[in-house]
Amino acid sequence: MSNQAFSVLGLFDNAQSLLDAIPSVKSKVSARLDAYTPYPVHGMEDALGLRKSPVGGMVFVMGLIGAIAAIAFELWTEGVDYPLVTAGKPVLSWEAFIPIMFEVTVLFACFTSGLGMLFLLNRLPLFRHPMLRSKSMPLITKDKFALAVEADGQPLDVDAITALLRKAGAQAIEVVEQPAPPDPISPSLLLKVAAVIGISCLVAGYVTYWGVKLFPLSIPVVHMLDQPRVDPQRESSFFKNGTAMRMPVAGTVARGHLPFTVPSQEEAAALANPLPRTDDVLKKGRQAFATYCSVCHGILGNGVPTLTSVYGAKPANLASQQIRDYQDGKIYYVIMMGKNAMPSYAADLSEDERWSVVHYVRVLQRALNAKDEDVRKETLK
Amino acid sequence: MKTETIALPEILKTAPITEGKVSIGSLDDQVLAHVEIKPPLVWFVAFAITSSVMLIGMALIGYTIATGIGVWGNNIPVAWAFDIINFVFWVGIGHAGTLISAILLLFRARWRNAISRFAEAMTIFAVMCAGLFPLIHVGRPWVAFWLFPYPNQRGIWPNFRSPLIWDVFAVSTYFSVSLLFWYLGLIPDFASLRDRTKGKIRKFLYAMLSVGWRGAASHWRHFERAYLIIAGLATGLVLSVHSVVSFDFAVSLVPGWHMTIFPPYFVAGAIFAGFAMVVIVLVVVRVTMRLENLITMYHLEVMNKIILTCACIMGYSYLMEAFTAWYSMNDYIHHTFKQYVAGTYWWAGWTTITCNILIPQLLWVRRFRRNYFTMIFVALAVTVGMWFERFVIIVSSLHQDYLPSSWHIYKPTLVDFGILLGSFGLFFTMVLLFARVLPVIATTEMKTVLPGTRPRHRGGEHE
Repeated sequence: MSNQAFSVLGLFDNAQSLLDAIPSVKSKVSARLDAYTPYPVHGMEDALGLRKSPVGGMVFVMGLIGAIAAIAFELWTEGVDYPLVTAGKPVLSWEAFIPIMFEVTVLFACFTSGLGMLFLLNRLPLFRHPMLRSKSMPLITKDKFALAVEADGQPLDVDAITALLRKAGAQAIEVVEQPAPPDPISPSLLLKVAAVIGISCLVAGYVTYWGVKLFPLSIPVVHMLDQPRVDPQRESSFFKNGTAMRMPVAGTVARGHLPFTVPSQEEAAALANPLPRTDDVLKKGRQAFATYCSVCHGILGNGVPTLTSVYGAKPANLASQQIRDYQDGKIYYVIMMGKNAMPSYAADLSEDERWSVVHYVRVLQRALNAKDEDVRKETLK
Repeated sequence: MKTETIALPEILKTAPITEGKVSIGSLDDQVLAHVEIKPPLVWFVAFAITSSVMLIGMALIGYTIATGIGVWGNNIPVAWAFDIINFVFWVGIGHAGTLISAILLLFRARWRNAISRFAEAMTIFAVMCAGLFPLIHVGRPWVAFWLFPYPNQRGIWPNFRSPLIWDVFAVSTYFSVSLLFWYLGLIPDFASLRDRTKGKIRKFLYAMLSVGWRGAASHWRHFERAYLIIAGLATGLVLSVHSVVSFDFAVSLVPGWHMTIFPPYFVAGAIFAGFAMVVIVLVVVRVTMRLENLITMYHLEVMNKIILTCACIMGYSYLMEAFTAWYSMNDYIHHTFKQYVAGTYWWAGWTTITCNILIPQLLWVRRFRRNYFTMIFVALAVTVGMWFERFVIIVSSLHQDYLPSSWHIYKPTLVDFGILLGSFGLFFTMVLLFARVLPVIATTEMKTVLPGTRPRHRGGEHE
């Protein structure tokens, strides 16, 4: 099989004589004709009867797809998925999306044209084509022009075609042989390929692992974490005592933290709650109570929280008669100073929050000891 | 009907695009041989210089990244300085390549075939230099991928209304399309190299790069069509790229930037600077690689004519810009334009006008268009002038903004100059490498325009 002819080449010195030879050869052979030239020869398509290249249509379709994809993507991201208002423009201001739409269209169209021509229409890369092994190939890529009669399934009548090409003016003739079919792939080769792929994967995985792990910690990447300033609790040689932090001037009072000078709970009874009992105040009180107080006193303030068994102590029942008899100031004093096992919450709650909690405790007390007249008439019906 | 042959006057005849006798075989021997021989001493000297300069630039970029862009002179309000000047400068240089390879192909200017390969290569290298600057200007280049729209856990997208993101798309599309166009043109030349070279490794590499090209007529018909279509698309692309670059300025509200003339004016300036660079490099290539018969005086003269045309367009643009500024009746714009010619950076403004408008007028004289000394002098002047034009646009406009309390005199640091120099080193190193390993003239394209290579049919030689 190996010595069967793939094609018969007739070599010509210039494009004109090749073109002139085509009609006489074409009328006499039924096999496929192709020409091999160092540069695109004008008029060759017509002479060989090749159909017009479909590249234009491909480019148009893909360009259109690129345009639609780009504008749709831009409208979706800027208008729908992550609406971003810039300079007071409407979120679907398509005019600003035209430049990118144009660029993407050109990108799609150009790569369709270039790669579609190479891969789809010309079926390249192809390194096993018999022509590439012919002796004429170096001449063709330099300055000779070849007309090829190619076997299209049927065997070629080499002698008749040679005579025909000579008559048409060919300077030289070459018979290009059909290459031997490739050997079947051996198991050892398969094993080697698998081993190479496996080792490559391991190396790539190892490099990626350490790259991802170490890169975010490398020097320029972490620069913004390392800034020329002193942080709280850090050393500083600038000050005599060696610390970066400065003590406030004697007598400094922080905003919202006026000193609490009431000496005892009894005297605190005289304090009046400065806040009115409005919805907002009660909401604020409920929030602060839920955050800080309910852990021990229970969400209802009745001393039955989830943590009692773990905690060991017995927190006060805020709805008990003793505490219901407390004046507002006395409850405020407990929040400020703590009582028994309860620590001070002065640092955690602002003054407003503390008084709101006092109001909210009153709400809980009334709710847990409700009388008939506390219930709304509509609810009773 | 009887056809009469009318003798054309000498001046109307198309000048031959080669000198002496060049056949399609001798063309290959002359051009492709350069990749096979050992380069001459002068090449090694040049390479040593350019690569050293490039390494200085790379080291300074490394220093910048490791330290932060505080090592540059940029500071508010001049937040854009050398980096953006250099970016616009290099993108502009690249545009001449696309103009020669695409627009002149569409206009069927046959002479462009001799210089298209080199000009396209220069496009690629110039865009590489250009792309470097925004990348290092972002300060944290390792997160530069945030510029691309990819789904991320933050759930946000880039702002597609920003000209800066248009720029990312325009320049990256421009680079990929230029690279594709260049590579497609190289494929038949790779096939020639594959069939010529003797070395085993080289032969293998060229064979791989040629993707098995065999010059079949059934392939050429797709190839030619695809090449022409890309040329047509690249024409639109090249106009859009520098327009988008100009949008970076024109879409903002900075006085002196907010002008409708910017896109065409930037495109003309880009082609202007690019042709100057092509002339400089081609003169050197022509002399050192002995290509006088292929890159003829005619080529250089035509390019000098284009430079002269562009100089006139630039002159018109400057005048129109000044007129628009005056006509705006806007005190801020008036102030900025006074700064251009009479402010702190008055010398930059006058360098621009001298180098871009006045010196190129020398090219009206035919003798100067055909003289190495004058054409190199003009081309260097244009290169300097176009760099200063961007300096004027960026620094002079920014250094005195709407808020006088933040006015600031910008002073570049040595690092700024070093990186600018390094980008030239990168460019010329790439050019030198290119001249060694790839055919500097598109031999396949040249073959189509040599005398006697186009068959006569339907009654006469045509293209």
